[in-house]
Amino acid sequence: METSPIALSTLTPGFADPVHDTQAVFRTLLDALSRPGTPGVVGDRLPGSSEAHETHEARAEPAAFAALLTLCDYATPIWLAQADIALASALRFHTGAPLVETPAEAAFAYIHDADALPPLDSFALGNAESPEQSATLLIRVASLTGGAPVVLRGPGIRETATIAPAGLPARFWRERAALAPLFPCGIDCYLVSGTRLVGLPRTTEAKVN
Amino acid sequence: MSATSLSPGMPSSAASPARRAWMAVLARTPRADLEATLAQVLQELPQPVYDWLRPPEIGLAMVRGRVGGSGDPFNLGEATVTRATLRLRADGAAPAIVGVACHLGRDRRRAELAALADALLQMPEHHDAMQRRLIGPLAAQQQARRARRQQDADSTRVEFFTMVRGD
Repeated sequence: METSPIALSTLTPGFADPVHDTQAVFRTLLDALSRPGTPGVVGDRLPGSSEAHETHEARAEPAAFAALLTLCDYATPIWLAQADIALASALRFHTGAPLVETPAEAAFAYIHDADALPPLDSFALGNAESPEQSATLLIRVASLTGGAPVVLRGPGIRETATIAPAGLPARFWRERAALAPLFPCGIDCYLVSGTRLVGLPRTTEAKVN
Repeated sequence: MSATSLSPGMPSSAASPARRAWMAVLARTPRADLEATLAQVLQELPQPVYDWLRPPEIGLAMVRGRVGGSGDPFNLGEATVTRATLRLRADGAAPAIVGVACHLGRDRRRAELAALADALLQMPEHHDAMQRRLIGPLAAQQQARRARRQQDADSTRVEFFTMVRGD
């Protein structure tokens, strides 16, 4: 995957103003993890499809693409659950991040099809000395509303917060709960849909009704 | 930006010797010359429309050296580098053409002009005109400058002879 040339002629453009756009997106991503369950909008900073870019759109959700452009660099390996040449080329060109073959090596992972999500414990969970060396997942869901309600509690939530993402397999919540005792190790997730995302850090306790 | 992150941006066709040659000429051309000559050439062409894949950005690249060609490589120091990548708007099914520039220095405008020139040089319909009116004269200029410097240096040349000592 690494050695193939980047398809420049069909490459998806990144941020128009990388310095300020990545700062704004980073702030939103931070807020989303600090206030689990509160949606943030990040995908609107990418160049719009009105600028003759339609043919060069990556298949990824704009929110996930913006987040990966912001967070990744040469030191953060990315794993794509579904092979996507256009997205892979764009990420390699704009961020310089290496793409890896297995989830365990990845610092960030993008899961385009939530049904094909591998078991959560196949990702890096960090270890007791450096729990930050764990994976952050960006999981695409059909919608952030309209699914089965999930009640969240934990740091950053005053009482409880309720989200209702549609298109997320039920086993996700079970596997996530199974990782909770490993704290401070664990996995942070973002659920992305369109230009919006919801943060789900490892400290948040989720209860499916 | 590190030196290693430059390589993925280089298109595979950078291996073509002709392209390497014109990129080398563009990399050695001062901004004023490039701006004036390119403006002249562009007067006769349809105005190119392009999108930035990577707007001109300034970074550092580590310059490495080695002593005497056989010594161990060492880090000489960092040099500022400006790089830019643009893509011409494609009309029809032909793959869009991508222009790349990577120059020493911090001149964003120069990188922009060079990337545009690189893209136009790759278009079969503009290649000959660009090569004749832009690259040709600039290359000749650089060659003349180099020859002049060489001549200046040659005038100070001292020839050393070792006499065979006779007994």
